[in-house]
Amino acid sequence: MAAMELCSEEALRYIWGGAIPLQIHLHESEVTTLPPPPPALILGPRIGYLPLLVSLLKPYFSSTLPPGVDTVWFDYKGLPLKWYIPTGVLYDLLCAEPERPWNLTVHFRGHPGETLIPCESEDNVKWSFINALKEAAYVINGNCKNVMNLSQADQFELWQSLMKGNMEGHQRIASRLKLGPIGEDCTLKTGSGQPRQALGEAETAGSSRVGRIPVRLYVRNISQDLDDFDEATAVDSWDSISYINRPVEIHKYEGHLLTLRTALKALLPEIFDDETMPDNQIFSKEEGCQVTNPSFEDYETPNSLRNVEAEETSIISDSVVLSKKPKVKLIRIQGIELDLSIPFFWVVNNLMNPDYFIHICVFTEASPSQVLVR
Amino acid sequence: MAAESLTSERKGEKRKAEVVVHLRATGDAPILKQAKFKIAGSDKFLKVIEFLRRQLHRDTLFVYVNSAFSPSPDELVIDLYNNFGFDGKLVVNYACSMAWG
Repeated sequence: MAAMELCSEEALRYIWGGAIPLQIHLHESEVTTLPPPPPALILGPRIGYLPLLVSLLKPYFSSTLPPGVDTVWFDYKGLPLKWYIPTGVLYDLLCAEPERPWNLTVHFRGHPGETLIPCESEDNVKWSFINALKEAAYVINGNCKNVMNLSQADQFELWQSLMKGNMEGHQRIASRLKLGPIGEDCTLKTGSGQPRQALGEAETAGSSRVGRIPVRLYVRNISQDLDDFDEATAVDSWDSISYINRPVEIHKYEGHLLTLRTALKALLPEIFDDETMPDNQIFSKEEGCQVTNPSFEDYETPNSLRNVEAEETSIISDSVVLSKKPKVKLIRIQGIELDLSIPFFWVVNNLMNPDYFIHICVFTEASPSQVLVR
Repeated sequence: MAAESLTSERKGEKRKAEVVVHLRATGDAPILKQAKFKIAGSDKFLKVIEFLRRQLHRDTLFVYVNSAFSPSPDELVIDLYNNFGFDGKLVVNYACSMAWG
């Protein structure tokens, strides 16, 4: 592989410029005028949050709303959307097959209470963002002093730059937090020189650990035998999605070798193991029974694709019996299905959200036995 | 897929079904009679927040981990314990007004 930049300005621009075309309908119970208002068409920034669109939606729909007090919330196919998850992550997770425009429903009344934490103002979103940032800092440094020591003015500017999609403004403040970038060995390059605050027994016992990368995982199970993601049924409850927060732990000398594949295996050994996600492609091509997911094969060589297709039928029937682990169907970060052999440091430096978490959507397909016990 | 099945298998980590949460009052928040209790690792942090709200009869509470940050209410207690716990417990601070921003 050619030398890879630690941090690609171009990639960052894509992340900051990434937006989802939204077609937002006002819920029919809140339409008091005829004809009903047409849906609002808005580009929703991927790194943004849905409540930040309210200042655009409110004037658009206000003339038709029934009397009452606003508590704005959104749903997609009846599922109330968690406003503290970045819009791009919601989209990647809930639209197995990308839907453009993404049809959402906005509600100004009738908040579903129990199932969704209400967002009362933009301040709630800012609080949630800053706390996610502090949590990420804690994972990386063992404390979040850098974030806490930001002046009110800097914190305000950091938040404003996120709201306005101002990448330069964000970088100016964020660089002071010294949370990145990481080098090819997956350790921090900022040289802050601060000793890591002891985290207790796990820390003293495992002193070979040199770094931790904050990751939020969203694992969604897709029912079996779907050839087409279009057919995937909509998520009807958040309970069907596993939300997992685990850092990738970097150990001495291991960081240089770390690919996205090895990082995922370390994060989710329950799902990614040598059976479901072969490390060595040559081996897997020869031993067809190891291959359970053709999408992880090397797309550049048509040969391997053909091999996999030819063997697919028998592989699947075998794996039903042999493997009780769910099969990985798809992995998305920032809307991208990544080649799993990509170096992990590149993923971290270029695909993390401004909250310094890498949000990874994992789609799995359960084996029949798991469907039964569910 | 149940969340427990995902959290119980991880190699090299404590397979704790239950986590000891140590509740510490901050500022003018009332101190609870019982400061330590056990909670299932598969529960969400929201359960800790709701418990505190009920105990203190307050709707508005600010709840933190390690006097540092306020986790998302969806985060699993076992994840918080594994990531931020020490001495066999997870320290949760609560305040009636914003303590650490």
